[in-house]
Amino acid sequence: MARPVNPHAMTPSRPGRTRTAPPQAPSGWYTQPRMLKYLLFDATGIVYLLVGFVALRVVWALGSGDAAWAELLRQLQNPLYIAFHVLALVSVVFVAVRFFSLFPKSQPAHIGPAKPPPQPLILAGLYAAWIGVTLVVTAVLAGWVL
Amino acid sequence: MSEQKKTFVVTRFDPDKDQAPRQQTYEVPVQPDWKVLDALNYIKDEIDGSLSHRWSCRMAVCGSCGMMVDGKPSLTCKDALSDYGDKVEIAPLANFPIVRDLVVELEGFLEKLKSVKPYILRAKERALEEGTHRQSPEQLEEFKQFSYCINCMLCYSACPVVANEPEFIGPAAIALGHRYNMDSRDEGQHERNEIFRGEGTVFSCSYANECSEVCPKHVDPAAAVNQAKFNAVIDWLTGFVTTRGGK
Repeated sequence: MARPVNPHAMTPSRPGRTRTAPPQAPSGWYTQPRMLKYLLFDATGIVYLLVGFVALRVVWALGSGDAAWAELLRQLQNPLYIAFHVLALVSVVFVAVRFFSLFPKSQPAHIGPAKPPPQPLILAGLYAAWIGVTLVVTAVLAGWVL
Repeated sequence: MSEQKKTFVVTRFDPDKDQAPRQQTYEVPVQPDWKVLDALNYIKDEIDGSLSHRWSCRMAVCGSCGMMVDGKPSLTCKDALSDYGDKVEIAPLANFPIVRDLVVELEGFLEKLKSVKPYILRAKERALEEGTHRQSPEQLEEFKQFSYCINCMLCYSACPVVANEPEFIGPAAIALGHRYNMDSRDEGQHERNEIFRGEGTVFSCSYANECSEVCPKHVDPAAAVNQAKFNAVIDWLTGFVTTRGGK
């Protein structure tokens, strides 16, 4: 059997004459691939929270002198840290691909007289911008430029 | 045609007798060309006349036969029974109070739908002698897709926000409000955009896209909701440079 959802979901402002059973969630919703994918998408928020903590730790180490910085670099080579960052990368790619696939259709039909470009072109533009920004950031971090 | 038997596990609820919904199992001899609704009608006609379910047109137009089939929202007159296994679970639409068996309470939806003013609003009615409102095919194209909604409520059953935020007016109501906002004959965009900027409307949508995945008419309510977000913001910003003052 299904589990109940919020008991007030889709209830009218005034109760009807007939007693009703509370609204139910779909049975086995957590086993359905689409729902699982959405749950995974939501769960990436936890990964980003942890990435935020790591970033704070990096900033703290930067302000605490050479020894603290060297110690942080040593800790970041720990396989657990590396695994976490691989997970963060996978999460970012997953969310970006999902966002890119949904973004084109959410464009308004027109802004004033101007119409947005065709959806495949928007999608291609998003991927081009993503690759471009990634290349620029990689080039800066690797010391190829600046 | 060859006959095959399938087991149907159907949710039952009698408000006069049952404290909570329960399940009842039926063995049904099915035909290969049957839709899910055909099996329910067979149960009602041949096995158990006390089963209650809604249906009418049998051609995916009236939107009354929406139910959960194997945990997924389905328009039962459209979905072929052959797409399901030997055991099929049929339940009332998720996220709606259950009136009886497979019949759900729709009054909550009708209230939400009414709140977005899903009809053409004009500042001043056009006089008869001025003739009809003309609309070009390009203007029609801007909202045509959103006007295909048959209010089957599958999108509400699929939406995770509807399940958790009772005040959310939901995909179909927003899609219909947006449909009229995009209609060149309508002059109520600002009025509706103010509603869309309120609590429990377009900005409650987390863009799960489930509504569009299950929509049997390919209305794409998720696109409508997210286009409406953009339009609501532009309308708010426009208010600062017009006499409305950001309203």
